[in-house]
Amino acid sequence: MVIQVLLIATLLAALIMTWRRVRQGVLSRLAGFLWSALWVAGGIVVLQPEFASLLARFLGVGRGVDAVIYVAIVGLFYLVFRIFLKLDRLERDITAIVRKVSLEEAERLNKGQGKGDEPYEGNSQEGDAG
Amino acid sequence: MRTFAVVPAYNEEKTVAGVVRGLLPAVEEVIVIDDGSADGTAAAAASAGALVARHVLNRGQGAALKTGTVLALEHGADIVVHIDADGQHDPEAIRKLVAPIEAGEADIVYGSRFLGIEAEGMPASRRALLLLARQFNALFLGVPRTFTDPQSGLRALNAAAARAIDFRQDRMAHCSEILRLVAHSPLRSREVPVRVRYSKETLAKGNKATDALGIVWQLLLGSMHR
Repeated sequence: MVIQVLLIATLLAALIMTWRRVRQGVLSRLAGFLWSALWVAGGIVVLQPEFASLLARFLGVGRGVDAVIYVAIVGLFYLVFRIFLKLDRLERDITAIVRKVSLEEAERLNKGQGKGDEPYEGNSQEGDAG
Repeated sequence: MRTFAVVPAYNEEKTVAGVVRGLLPAVEEVIVIDDGSADGTAAAAASAGALVARHVLNRGQGAALKTGTVLALEHGADIVVHIDADGQHDPEAIRKLVAPIEAGEADIVYGSRFLGIEAEGMPASRRALLLLARQFNALFLGVPRTFTDPQSGLRALNAAAARAIDFRQDRMAHCSEILRLVAHSPLRSREVPVRVRYSKETLAKGNKATDALGIVWQLLLGSMHR
């Protein structure tokens, strides 16, 4: 079947990509194994759909395809949450940089001039600040 | 003791000078953090006599308060007072806020809108939401129920408390975060009643009901770090 060929090719590409990232040091070895397990499990389900039915029976869901979809949704939720966390971390890092720049600028301006000398004339901010 | 007021300001060109002048008689120094404003907030604050620092990007009220607190400590503040720039707070309230710290009876003092003095013009919906927030804080953050105002923007800290309380929430969730951090520390805290006036302007800028969900979400994310 065409769908099987397509899916297997995609999963193989994912597997290769995963290990390339591990070699580049972007992914840890453990993460590499976990991702590989996911890709291999996907391959097994594609080649032998009965495995999904086994999983479905284990989970108490009707069909194999349903079980795959449920598991996939849970996995996606987890990944999205991870991304949110990463974004939050980035936001905090940005704040730390902005704070550092701000404090250094304040230090410089307050050392050079007395207060009220309008050191803040003109605005560096351009465009929308929303 | 050297008392510093920290005022976060975002596009408050028209009001910030008035706020600074109102505060100056009550404190040693006013620090205004221009939180990435697109208007002349920084210049207006500086010409009114404030010490100004500027965020090049808008990072939120919590982030600005933190920057201001660091700056105040660097300038030798003994007491740091956090204030809203939109004039919600009565500058007179600062003396009451600072008094327990000067007397050595507390390390951190919160201004509360629910201790006897009736807040002017607070809508019933806002009141109900704050009541709910209080229950949330007690249940999930371990903030004692004796604290009456979960989102008060007015608080004073002595230098030791200002150094110890390392709040990281950049936006609105810093109020709850500070309450939680203080509740889990040996710092002595208390609330004093403050008068707050609600006008159309402050209501438009203040927390909306939908912000409450955002605060809960930010607290959840924040709790996942480290």
